[in-house]
Amino acid sequence: MKLLYSFLKDMKLASKSFYFYMELGIALIFVVVLLFIVPENPDPKMDVYAYIDLQGPYKTMTEEALSRENTDLIMLNSREEVKAELKGNRGSVGLVITQADDRIVYEYILQGYEGEKFRNILKTSTEAGFVSEAANYRSVTNVITLEEDTEKLSLRLNILPVFLAYNAAFMGLFIIAAYIFLDKEEGTIKAFAVTPARVWHYLLGKVGVILVSGLMSGLVATIFLAGLKANYLHLILLLIATNAFGSTVGLFIASFFNTMVKAMGWLYVIIIILSFSAVSYYLPAFSPLIIRILPSYPMLFAFRETLYDVGNTGYIYTNVLGFSAASVILFLLANYRFKKTLTV
Amino acid sequence: MIKVEGLYHSYTKNEKYAVQDLNFEIAKGEVLGFLGPSGAGKSTTQGVMTGLLQLQKGNVTVAGFDVRKISRTMFNKIGVSFEQSNVYGKLSGLENLEFYRKLFDVPTEDPKAMLELVGLDHVADQKAAEYSKGMKHRLTFVRSMLNKPELWFLDEPTTGLDPAIASQIKDIIKKKKEEGTTVFLTTHNMYVADALCDRVAFIIDGVIKLIDSPRNLKLQYGERLVEVEYREGDCLKKEKLSFLDRKDRSHLTEIVNAGNIEMMHTKEATLEEIFIKVTGRGLK
Ligand SMILES: Nc1ncnc2c1ncn2[C@@H]1O[C@H](COP(=O)(O)OP(=O)(O)OP(=O)(O)O)[C@@H](O)[C@H]1O
Ligand SMILES: [Mg+2]
Repeated sequence: MKLLYSFLKDMKLASKSFYFYMELGIALIFVVVLLFIVPENPDPKMDVYAYIDLQGPYKTMTEEALSRENTDLIMLNSREEVKAELKGNRGSVGLVITQADDRIVYEYILQGYEGEKFRNILKTSTEAGFVSEAANYRSVTNVITLEEDTEKLSLRLNILPVFLAYNAAFMGLFIIAAYIFLDKEEGTIKAFAVTPARVWHYLLGKVGVILVSGLMSGLVATIFLAGLKANYLHLILLLIATNAFGSTVGLFIASFFNTMVKAMGWLYVIIIILSFSAVSYYLPAFSPLIIRILPSYPMLFAFRETLYDVGNTGYIYTNVLGFSAASVILFLLANYRFKKTLTV
Repeated sequence: MIKVEGLYHSYTKNEKYAVQDLNFEIAKGEVLGFLGPSGAGKSTTQGVMTGLLQLQKGNVTVAGFDVRKISRTMFNKIGVSFEQSNVYGKLSGLENLEFYRKLFDVPTEDPKAMLELVGLDHVADQKAAEYSKGMKHRLTFVRSMLNKPELWFLDEPTTGLDPAIASQIKDIIKKKKEEGTTVFLTTHNMYVADALCDRVAFIIDGVIKLIDSPRNLKLQYGERLVEVEYREGDCLKKEKLSFLDRKDRSHLTEIVNAGNIEMMHTKEATLEEIFIKVTGRGLK
């Protein structure tokens, strides 16, 4: 009962505080950004500004070949015009094709930020283009699909797990610490400590508040971005387990300090370290062990699984159990420490 | 109700003690006043007794519980008021009390009646953050009464209050005392201490210098003076005469016989004067 009262009181306090809305606010901003700014699937087409100075059959042949490519070809009348257009559109390349003696000269005008890889692709695809135009060309390229039914998530849905992990799960790390230090500052912890209520009532009440705001922001973001595509049962279980993990880590760290300022450094370092796993999430080729052992690493993939039509249920439940168990342990440790330090 | 033996406490966990070798007892129904200048160790002592500070050295028993292993149920029996008010600023006065009373397992007072008791009923629904300092202090004070404590810890309950309200608070404590509540009272206010305490302890630099009843202290240290103002011819004269001095006594008789007395009153030593006499230091 005291736990319930403590939780309800904290909810009431939280509903009047800035932090509570911050998380939800970030969720809404995130949704808006993703819905209106990030395209569902980024357009792989690239604008090409071209100036072709060829004669006769060469001209039509080249134009035909280019229009078959996956590009938007914009024809211009001079090399200068191409350069001018390039300046106005950073996502474009310029192409100038001229005739010198008996040879056709391909000249790409790039923006300057393109890497070696991109240049090579341009080069080989240009060469390949000519090869395929040759009379006795035969395609020898075979595409082999590694996993027959791999589902590819849209760009938006691929970003969502990162949001869920960092806003819905780990934001609580900071906020729970902030709540506790606010109470310390106000001195209300001392008043609480001289009642029959227990320290764990107090702590668990706070975890509950963080859970409510974490669930809200996580669900809001998912509903808007994934709609019915997500498995909400799995998502909710995972949100509960990971959010509890985040707040108990926060509690544990907070138990070593008596002001927010002192705890801030550690909280910050932890968040930064945890966010390294987002790199491996986007670049699977870069997954050193040091990143794979971060709790945020499996968390990201587990959140992603909840977005697939057929998610890896085993993986999700392993994560739910793992994070729940870790939360319980961290909570017990924090409780043990706070029993001694909460009122000092 | 309270037994303290050889209590030491150091915030820095070294030889620098905030209080050292404290020994005292408080009987059931007794009011013990802790008097001492700022930094003497009064709040530290209360902190250890209420379990807010961990007991480092010594033995402390409160309401039958060893504070080394406090049972949470002990807090049903005790009430604690703090020197710095600590209420939830975002909750109203009433909400603060409503929440707090639910944390106890024993019958509690009616929050509205409590607010009325300290004159806060008109701001019951206002956020505590908007209260004045004195109002917050009264809310903190009255919160400590909610569980009808048998043992009451009051850390400077009248500090920062205007005299009228301070006197009101004093009356509330007096009434509780008459009902049998045991009180550990820390104060700077000598009149409050004098009016309420069965015994007072003088504490300075973490050490208790003396514990006795205000009456005994006055008898022992007070000079028992008479202050008299009388007219002699055209001029007004003012003198302080001691009861203990033969010459003073006969001089006083002369003045009385002359019959020109404008004002005369006995002047007992105040606790403050005695404090200065005993410790060589003021209370402020
Ligand atoms: N949290 C703390 N950390 C370190 N030292 C402290 C702390 N609280 C008090 N002290 C020190 O312990 C000593 C006793 O302080 P305490 O608060 O018990 O005094 P007090 O008698 O209640 O004074 P006041 O009348 O000003 O309330 C002081 O020297 C003070 O500096
Ligand atoms: Mg004090």
